[in-house]
Amino acid sequence: MTDRRRFEQQVLPHIDAAFNLARWLTRNDHDAEDVVQDAMLRAYRHFEGLRGEARPWLLAIVRNACFSWIRRNRPAEVAAGPDGEAAEAATAPADGPEALLARELDRRMLNEAIAALPLQFREVLILRELEDLSYREIARIADVPIGTVMSRLARARRLLAESVRVIAVASRLQTEK
Amino acid sequence: MKPEEAARLLHAYVDRELDAAKSLELEAQLAADPALRERFERLRELSAGIREKADYHAAPSSLAARLSAALPGAASIAPRRATRWILPAAAAALAAALAVGIALVRPGDEDALLREMVASHVRSTLGNRLIDVASSDQHTVKPWLSARLPFSPPVADFSPEGFELAGARLDYVGGRPVAVLVYKRRQHLIDAFIWPGSGPRDGAYSRDGFNVERSSAEGMRICLVSDLNRNELSDLARLLIARR
Repeated sequence: MTDRRRFEQQVLPHIDAAFNLARWLTRNDHDAEDVVQDAMLRAYRHFEGLRGEARPWLLAIVRNACFSWIRRNRPAEVAAGPDGEAAEAATAPADGPEALLARELDRRMLNEAIAALPLQFREVLILRELEDLSYREIARIADVPIGTVMSRLARARRLLAESVRVIAVASRLQTEK
Repeated sequence: MKPEEAARLLHAYVDRELDAAKSLELEAQLAADPALRERFERLRELSAGIREKADYHAAPSSLAARLSAALPGAASIAPRRATRWILPAAAAALAAALAVGIALVRPGDEDALLREMVASHVRSTLGNRLIDVASSDQHTVKPWLSARLPFSPPVADFSPEGFELAGARLDYVGGRPVAVLVYKRRQHLIDAFIWPGSGPRDGAYSRDGFNVERSSAEGMRICLVSDLNRNELSDLARLLIARR
């Protein structure tokens, strides 16, 4: 079997996952297409290095391509924001308010709130909730320790719950006016 | 377990990443602490809400075409229309079957059922036995199924909505005969497993690139299995339920 054929069978079927991740990280269809195309060609060149499952392997390549793109085009996004366990623990309230009424969760509102999350939190949330990857796989893709995956995920959910609640309250005030 | 540690481990528990010993410890704490229990429920709702409602951005078909042109070497997938989608689908199916087999987190009837349905989807895409009765006409498919099953499943073509009925087959899942409607959307195949009964757990799940959408309506269980993205899969689920 040719390399191209093996690639088409093992890697190309995961193009939706690749695009979904790139779309959430770049927040733009057009840029996501460019980044995924570059990442796929890179994946093809490094296809020999594939061991184990193709999807997390491909997503790691896509993720790195996205970060290179963001560093070039929106450097403020990667540079900004406190990171590391200490910073996250320091700002996390002990009794975190993940609370919200999920039934009230409006689709558009939720998508906007996820898109507004800082990059490093958005990334783990998408990999966990939309790609259903394990902490171990996410750690490998994002190139951070598992402990950092856990704290970022907790932080991502907390931030998301807070912003959804703020939006919900604001829209309720709007309708009461 | 200290309260701070319990709060910290809630996320891992919701994500099914906690080992058995810690899970038991945390469950004891949950039973004893209503406030913790409340946080757990909220967290689980949030996670389920994201899975259900966040957009899943499937790759536009133009991207696959661009890639095909950009990759070195000749495209080796058979150019015949009918088989073009089978190869990638089958490869993903095989990978998913292996992953499901190896990485099953929680044993149990529901997971076993899920595994059986994904395996059935895989087998049908690998072999030629996709479809026992090939027809987009519900008036052909429905009587064919009803004649062979102890129940009459809902059958409908949703071509106007972009889900073309390709046909149906019979299968044996969870110790009972089931109807499987086969739908096509773009390059994707969707199996809709249908049988009488109700289920304790509705919702969307995913296993290595495969999405499973479970729902029930008026005494019928409907489980969709496909590599199609979640949002479109739930669109089909809604159509099927509305039709029922």
